[in-house]
Amino acid sequence: MIEVWHLIIGNPVLNVLIALSHLLSGEFGLAIIGLTIVVRLISWPLTKRQLNSSKALQDMQPKIQELQKKYGKNQQKLQQETMKLYKEAGVNPLGCLWPMLIQLPIWIALYQAIMRALATTPENLLDLANRLYSWDIVNQAIPLNSHFLWLDLGQPDPYFILAIIVGGTMWVQQKMTQAPSVDPRQQSTSRMMLMMMPLMFGFLTLMFPSGLALYWAVSNIIGIITQYFFTGGWGYLKFRSPSQST
Amino acid sequence: MTPYLSYRMKQPKILFLVIIALLPLILVSCLSGGTQSAGGWPGTTVHDGIIYAGSTDGRVVAINSSTKNLEWSYSIAPVTAPSSGLSCGQTSVTTAIYSKPVVDRDIVYIGTYSGQVLALNMLARSQNLTFPQQRYGEWEWDCPIENAKSNAIVANLAMSEDALYVASSNGRVYSLVKGSGDENWKREDIPVLTENAERPEKLWTSPVIHGNTLYVSTYDGHIYALSLETGELLDWSFESEAGFTSSPVIDEDTIFLGSFDRYLYAVKIGSDVPMWKFPEEKPAGNWFWASPIVNEGIVYAGCLDGKVYAIEAQTGGKLWEFDAGNAIVSPPVLMDNLLIVTDESGTVYVFDLSAELEDEAAPLKVISIEVDVRSSFCAQEGLVYIRGEDNWIYVVDIDSGTVSWKVPLTIEE
Repeated sequence: MIEVWHLIIGNPVLNVLIALSHLLSGEFGLAIIGLTIVVRLISWPLTKRQLNSSKALQDMQPKIQELQKKYGKNQQKLQQETMKLYKEAGVNPLGCLWPMLIQLPIWIALYQAIMRALATTPENLLDLANRLYSWDIVNQAIPLNSHFLWLDLGQPDPYFILAIIVGGTMWVQQKMTQAPSVDPRQQSTSRMMLMMMPLMFGFLTLMFPSGLALYWAVSNIIGIITQYFFTGGWGYLKFRSPSQST
Repeated sequence: MTPYLSYRMKQPKILFLVIIALLPLILVSCLSGGTQSAGGWPGTTVHDGIIYAGSTDGRVVAINSSTKNLEWSYSIAPVTAPSSGLSCGQTSVTTAIYSKPVVDRDIVYIGTYSGQVLALNMLARSQNLTFPQQRYGEWEWDCPIENAKSNAIVANLAMSEDALYVASSNGRVYSLVKGSGDENWKREDIPVLTENAERPEKLWTSPVIHGNTLYVSTYDGHIYALSLETGELLDWSFESEAGFTSSPVIDEDTIFLGSFDRYLYAVKIGSDVPMWKFPEEKPAGNWFWASPIVNEGIVYAGCLDGKVYAIEAQTGGKLWEFDAGNAIVSPPVLMDNLLIVTDESGTVYVFDLSAELEDEAAPLKVISIEVDVRSSFCAQEGLVYIRGEDNWIYVVDIDSGTVSWKVPLTIEE
């Protein structure tokens, strides 16, 4: 099972990352940024679907607010009508989470690739020999320079800068895509998630190699930019939730 | 309420719980798959009937090869290291050893992954005297190599008449006085991987002495020549497109060493271009990780692609190759007219170099110790001393083609 994982995901990610590093003047940090762009391009159909869903949700806000006014005192009816509206429009309010879940295998592969490529111990360097393709571009790139800007990409960022960037960009991205809910229970869950996920990733940034956190940060920034241009603005970042508006 | 609506209402909480529960679990589970900690693969040395080796539990061990008993062992203090991944704080880690002990008179020298050079007196050790007796004492010392963040010693030590030469992971080369561990000189401007002297990286290949010069190969594809006396960088250096994986081996005025681009290079000292690189056409199946060995104008090189190559030293032409089937990590050794090669799976191949060239490629003997081997080993008087990855020393008798005896390195004094 593990060998299948390495064959299909682990080793390709590792080799592409190293090849990118060679193409980008041996800068491993730039290679991670390049790989992030590649991953975002590959997952574009999924992102596009999610953005469409998000835009549809945003367009539905006047109708939702109408429902809020109409059934404000009957929560059950309000939920039924809201869900009906969502179903008719073919949107899922939590659709933004799926791209994140689908990216999990990429995160794992990237984490492993960063640690393997940087080969912090002799054992890792020897192990790396068995995972590299026979491409010249890969073999000429080894060993890699682990330093990028102020970061040692194999170590967590000691200055917390990346943790703030990862947490902050994740919050903005989620806030832009997360539709306000009419159900108070759903609202509290959404609010909690809006805070929990950036906090958790900020915390993980302090624990994991900064190369992985760099991927998170760049991926979030790309997400924010595409969201901004695709939906034509800051989305729900400037919206007030229905409960706040009543 | 319809079941559909009920499900849709519960969905966010279910999703939330799944994400919160799964994310850290998945990330933690990937920790073990990404890296291997520094366990070490210490080499073996035999001197005056005593086998010296490091063990993976952080000890230097001396075993009497006649009585097969432990003469002495010295435990290196564990080091504290920051925890990785989701765990916080610091952990105590056993000191790993990658280098091979070197012996001079009564003293055994060895470098450690914690960045120390140890000098252990065999006589004092066998008498259980306290270590160190005195920092600048006559017979035992340890020398912490600076307080750099990353000062691990992976390379073997080089030894001259009165000094030791140490390549460190902090990118520096040191010369230490053999008697005291005092620093003769240090070279800290060797640009390993980065031009920024504040952030040098690994120098894991072993320095080699040739005449009055110390030769150092680097992972960024350079060979540097340093004055043995002063540590000054000499005029000549060599630059290759790819980094060098193996330590240099020098025969007359030619340096032989393996590279990350899967070629073995021959470089004439003083020349800017390689004399040859092997294989001539397409690269080998993997890196030449182990240092080659040269005998009577023939270079014998083991490769991680599982092959042993015999190459003409002057031309780089292939004389023969033998496919062992498993990666060759340990450098081959010579004993009389025998070439001894061990592959990673623990199979020992003995080649008769006195045979006709066409017969040389067929191993005279194939002996399996049935345990993985990564360490450098040694051979003497018909016996091969190999440290297996199970932390045992295997003594292989070439004549009988069997494991003569074996001893664990984890035994207590």
